[in-house]
This record gives sequence, structure tokens and C-alpha cells, in this order.
Amino acid sequence: MRNKTIVLFLFVVFVCDKTSFAQAKPVSFSVSGTAGVTYEGYGLNRNPSGWTGYAPRKPWNQVRFNFTPTFKFGKNLSLPFNFNFAAIPTNFAGPYAGIKNQNFGQFITNPMNSFGINPKYKWAELQLGTQYLKYSDLSTGDIGIFGIGVDLRPKTWRFKFFTGISQEGVNYFGGPPTVTGAYKRKNWMLQIGNEVEGKYLFAVNLAKGKDVPTSSAPPPLTVKPQEGVVISIVADAYVDKGIYFKAEAAQSTFTKDATTPTTTLLRGLKPFIDPHTSSLTDFAGQVSAGRKSANFDIGLMMKYIGAGFQTTGYPYLQSDRVDYTLNTRFNAWKKKMNVVASVGRRVNNVKNTALRASQFIGNLNWFTQFNEHWSLNVNYNNFGFQSASGINPYGIKNVSNDLGFNPTFTWTGKKIIHLVSLSYNYSKYDERDVMTGLTTSNNTHTALLTYVPTYLEKDISPDFSVLYFYNDVPLAKIKLFTISSALSMTAAKKKLRLRGQLQYTLGKLNSYSSSNNLIASCNVDLKITKKLSWNTFLTTNYFKYGNEISPSGANYLESISRTGFQYRFDTKK
Amino acid sequence: MRKLFLLIIAFFLFSVAAAQINSNLVLAAQPPAQLSEWGNRREVLMLILSAPGAVGRQFKIKAEIKTLDGTVIGSADLAKTTTFTSNPSGTTILFAGDVVPLEYMMFTGKYKTSLQRTGKLPADNYMLCVRLVGPTDYVPLGEEQCKTFYLASTQLPILIKPYNEEILDGKMAQTAITFRWTPVVPRPSSPVTYRLQVFEVLPTQSPVQALRSNQPLLDKEILAATQFIWQPQLAFAPVDSNETRKNPTFIWTIQSLDKDKKPITQTDGNGEGRSEPIIFYIGSLRKNN
Repeated sequence: MRNKTIVLFLFVVFVCDKTSFAQAKPVSFSVSGTAGVTYEGYGLNRNPSGWTGYAPRKPWNQVRFNFTPTFKFGKNLSLPFNFNFAAIPTNFAGPYAGIKNQNFGQFITNPMNSFGINPKYKWAELQLGTQYLKYSDLSTGDIGIFGIGVDLRPKTWRFKFFTGISQEGVNYFGGPPTVTGAYKRKNWMLQIGNEVEGKYLFAVNLAKGKDVPTSSAPPPLTVKPQEGVVISIVADAYVDKGIYFKAEAAQSTFTKDATTPTTTLLRGLKPFIDPHTSSLTDFAGQVSAGRKSANFDIGLMMKYIGAGFQTTGYPYLQSDRVDYTLNTRFNAWKKKMNVVASVGRRVNNVKNTALRASQFIGNLNWFTQFNEHWSLNVNYNNFGFQSASGINPYGIKNVSNDLGFNPTFTWTGKKIIHLVSLSYNYSKYDERDVMTGLTTSNNTHTALLTYVPTYLEKDISPDFSVLYFYNDVPLAKIKLFTISSALSMTAAKKKLRLRGQLQYTLGKLNSYSSSNNLIASCNVDLKITKKLSWNTFLTTNYFKYGNEISPSGANYLESISRTGFQYRFDTKK
Repeated sequence: MRKLFLLIIAFFLFSVAAAQINSNLVLAAQPPAQLSEWGNRREVLMLILSAPGAVGRQFKIKAEIKTLDGTVIGSADLAKTTTFTSNPSGTTILFAGDVVPLEYMMFTGKYKTSLQRTGKLPADNYMLCVRLVGPTDYVPLGEEQCKTFYLASTQLPILIKPYNEEILDGKMAQTAITFRWTPVVPRPSSPVTYRLQVFEVLPTQSPVQALRSNQPLLDKEILAATQFIWQPQLAFAPVDSNETRKNPTFIWTIQSLDKDKKPITQTDGNGEGRSEPIIFYIGSLRKNN
């Protein structure tokens, strides 16, 4: 009934506008966007026969389709399609993990497939099919929902509503391979607000997800039917001179197991959800402020996620934390120097339901163009993590430090511009053992030398590089030596673009014999017509182990071939 | 006379024993931090009751959760809790849902607030005490049984390196990419298996969509260590000739597994034991600037 009301409302909006249909001249029509099909084949040949030490990492065959044209009728009416889907399910995480034979409903709602149509007339948009809608950072945004809704923006007002299914029921299967299973999840989301782009936004969001307990048989063993509601208020303001202020506050009630008894002892977001004994009600908020300009940015951000805050719209959101971050970017020395830096701190366990963990995060990227020949990039990253360790005698302490230098020298000859670049990175990772208190250091050195000649009169672009990688940790030393070269060129009056690459890596672990790895790849992109292109990518990878694994001499040959046609809709003259 | 006296004492002891219900409380030393989860796992709490000669006897369970100094922080509302009847076979086994019925447990102060907001009590050592009482007069029917336990919510790893939205140099990344993450806190009694997964984000996909739908390019189980050096053995070419996305994009996450290779937290967060994923790009360092 509600859906019919929405459709009727939109119909009225489309029909009642007198100006467009009263025009005397014919309505212009245009199409943009793309449509195509891509095939990807994967091959893996392992030796000796029967050895399974290297697992396939792609489906043997996969076909993907895309159909994303936008039809425009006149100035105000558009009809964009967003169809992207694949023939074979390959889900490894989330509700459809392990699924092999999907029914129609599961195919339609599988995250790997999108079937969306968004007809839009002036300020009214009807949303049909698969939609990935981000209402705000704390309400909903990461999941695709198959359903129906609207996005209405009359003048400065905002009204958004969408309802549908984010996942179908998946039956538990003991395997092999095991399918964990999932419950069908229905979703609703609503936003009401007021916005003037570039000036301010004020909106109230509501997002709800609810599992259907009878939707899978046999039901999942470990997953319980859940229900969650989140309400958030968003307020953004942009003032002169690039100064901005953004804030969001949210409250969630989330029932982790809808089969637990209902209770009156817990608070909840009634009437949207009835609390159970497994329900949690908690808060989250984020605020940021700063200033942006051509040569100087500065921003401060703080985010708090309560330990019991959970939303179906962000299934992987990590709760129980406070983050503080200070970011800056500035140009100096006549814009020849560019610095991007951030420093932050994250504290977990703000609700004291776990052991308190504290992290320090610092990043710096400093680029200087000294003159037309020389430039230098320096980067530094630090991540420190510290926590008590429960009943163990020593606390956890992990510190990661990375420091990199990248000088580049460029000079121009008569026919060639030469570029030589050296990158050196030192990475140190210290980890304290919670039983002995001893700290082990893991040190990595990486050096890369690259030479790129650019021919001024020829249409070829080669590059050459050599790399040395050394990792040292107690009981293990890894050395890798890589040489690689690539060549790009165009042919057939620039209708054909070719790129090939060869890479050889010699690896060594401790005193074992060396491993050998050869990778060859090529891209062939052919413009068949102005609108139709044929793109092909082929790569093969041969890897032979040293005697560090058994059976001795184990090796594999892996190949990936991807080819597809893309048609570009373009009616513009 | 002496024999008669001993006989009377023996009869008295037998009568008392027959009136009592013997109980044995079995409680995991480190149960799930989420109290509502206790009822889903039988191994967390068992109350074994034996009442020889007291077949069909009715009783309630007076359950109290205390701090180690004896302060009661939560107790069952006996007016509302279930009345049980002892098993005719003589032995009754009750589980967490019966012994600590959350819907009838009354918590106090900060413990109540914490439970309402997070479903967990503050990380600490606690004591659970249970005693069988009469269904109407709440007269004790046996000895109080107490067991201590430690509660601390499991914190999944935080991904360190590559950090979120880092652009890795394509040439270096083709040879090796180093992944680092923090360990599971608190450290479980058995070593954690960290399942490292890296997914390619296709041009038409959002990062989380790719994680939930693609086959991972790297799916590696690492026992107890928090670093892995990956030799991708891939040619990081542009995603397609139109270069709809500037750089090849990847999303990575860690799934923490227990000794049975099951997610270490099945009811908390996403239920998959997966850490919040982050993305990285493959490009040229010069594009960093």
C-alpha cells in the first residue's frame, strides 16, 4: 500500500508540471553511458600432480555484464540504468558466503549484482531496484538494498525514503564447503532535511533492518535473527573562506538475538523496535571542523562510537572507540613544496567492557621540487598500539614505523626525456611478547631503482626497474630480487593500444634454495569504432619454490585472461 | 542405648539430606562478555541438581552476581523467575538461560547502565552465586554455590598496514606487500588464527560490496603472527583501458578464528569475526603528491 502511494505521488509530480509538456518544440533526446560484457578465465596448473599447496584465487570462468545508459528526455527527465551482474556467485564474506546455487531472489540481492533504475524528473527521483544509498556516516551507507524508494528535493527540502531487502534467506549447509547461512533482512530508511549545497545541511535520518526468523531452513547455527534501528541528526555548515563545520549524533538500538525474551528493563527506540534481553542502546557522534584553501588546509576530526552502537547499514563498523585526528596540507616555497600530514589517536574500550587499548597514528608526506631536475619525496608513518593483556604478565605493545625517501632526477635530451627514480623504504615492526616481555623486531628494507625514458618523436614508452627487498625477523630472513620492464605503444592510427610487462623475481628464505617467479602480462585495447572498444588483458605467472616446502620442486603456472567489449552510448553531436 | 542414639542421628541426617537439593555449579572461567550469549552456549554454565528422595520438589533459583569484594551488582527477581520441579530421575541440569534469566535480573548503578548500552558488564573479575530456595517463601533449600569468572570483551584486530587509502608504489607492490594488524585482545588461551583476505574492488563496485561478493585474491591463514608479507604475483595493470578508476583498488580485512577455525566473536559486531576493512590503492608514488 505504501509503495503504491509513493508511485502515485511520483506520477502526480511527473504529470502535473505544465511547463515541460506544454512546449511546442519536440523534446530533445540523448543517451550516454556504457554497456558491455566481459569474460574472465582463470587457469592453474600445479606440479607435482596432486599437490594442493597453492589454491586458486579466481573463479575458473566468469562473465560480467554491465548496462549503464542514461536516457535523457528534454531538460528535466532522465532515466539512468545501473545493471551490473555476474553469472557465477563468488561470495566469500558476508551473508552469501559459500553460496553456490542461488535462487532468483538470492541472485537479485547478491551484493555482486546490481539492478537499479532511477527515473528522475526535476527534483523528484524514483529509486527502483538495487541501490547503495549513503544517508550519513553513522546511519546507513555500506549495503546495497533491492527495493523501492524516492529522493525528493523540492527547493531546499530533502525527503528520502527507501525500503527493500538487503539479503535473502540462505539455508545452513554443513558442507563441504560449509554455508553459514543467513536470514532474510528487510530494510527501511528515511531522511528528512533541508539543504543548500555549499552552505548548510540539516537532516534527520532513520534506518532500520529486521531479519525474518522463518526465512531459512535449516537456519544458521551461529547467526541469530537480528533487528536494529538507528536515528541520527546531521548538521553541516560551510562559511566563507573555506571554513566548514560538520557534526552528526546518532543513537542505535540493536537486538543481537531476536529469539531472546522481550524485556521492559532495557531502553529502546520505541515505537521502532521492542527491546529484548539481547538489545543494546548506545550512542555515536562525530564532529569535524576546519578550513580549506588553495595552499593551506587544516582540519580536526573527532569520532566516538559507543561500545553498544551498531547499525545494519554499516555491518563492519568497529564500535567502542574514540578517534581524534588533526590533518593538514600546505604548499610552500612557491608551491614547490607540498606537505600532507596527519596525527591522531584512537582509544578503544571507552565503555570499559574490554581491556583499554590506545593507538597513536601519525603520517607525513613531504614533497619538494628543488629545480627542474631534482625532486624529493619523504614519507613517514607511525602506528603504535598498546593494551593490557588480561591475565598475561605483560601488556601488548606493537609499534610500526615506516620511513621512505624517493629522490627523482629528470633531464631532457634531444629526443628523450629521461627519468631516474630511487625509492628506499625502511620499515620496522616491534612486537612485545605478553608472556616473556621480550620485544621482537621485524625489519624490512626495500630499494627500487626505476628508469623511464620518454621518447619525444616516437610513440613508445618503455620503463625499467630493479628492486631489492630484505626482511629480517628472528628465525626468518627473506630476500627478494626483482627486475622488470614494461613497454607501452599505440598502433593502427592510435586505434590500438598495447602494453606488455615482464617481471622476474628471485626469492630466498633463510638458507633454503632460491624460488623463481616469472610474470608476463599484456593489455591489448582496440577501438573498433568510435563507440565500440575491445579490451583484452592476459597475464601468466610461473612460480617455482625452493626446497623450503615439500614436495621438493613444487611449482605452478597461473593464468588470467580477461576480454570484453564495451559500447559507449553517445548521441551528442 | 548407644545403638538407638546412633540410629536416631542417622535417621535425622537422612531426613535432612532428603529435604535438601544438592547442587553443583559449573561455570566457564572466561565466559562470553555478552551476557545474552550465555544462554546460547550450554558449555558456559550448568547447574547440576540432585535431590534423592525429593522427587517432584519445587524450587526457584536465587542468582546473584557480585564483585569480588562481595558487593551484589545484580540479582534475580524471585517474584518473576521460573519455578522448577526436580526431575523424577533424581538429577536436574539447568543452563544459563534458567539460572541467570536476563529478563528478570536486576542490575544496579553503572553495571545496569553498561549492560543496557553494551550488553556487557565492565571488564573485571566477578562471582556468580546461586542458591535454591522455596518457590513461595524463598527459604533456602541447599547450600549457596559460588564461582568466580572473568569478563573482558574480545577486541578484534585493528588493521595497521597498509593503512587506510594508502597508495602503494606499483613496482614495489608487485614484488611484496606487507600486512600488519594488532592482535586479538585479551589474548585467548589458545593461539588465534588470523585469516587475511584481500579483495580486488572492480570499477563498478563499492569497497564493501567487493568484500561481500568477490573471491579474495589472497586468502591466507596465519597462526598467532600479526604480520604477513604477500608476494602478489600479479600484474597491476589499469582496471580497463578507459581507466574508469585511477588506480587498482583493493580492500583487506582480518578474520580472527579460534582453535576450531570458527570466528572468535560470532555474536558481537558483524558475527563473522572480521575486523573493520580498509582499502589501499596501487599506483605510482609520484601520484601521492
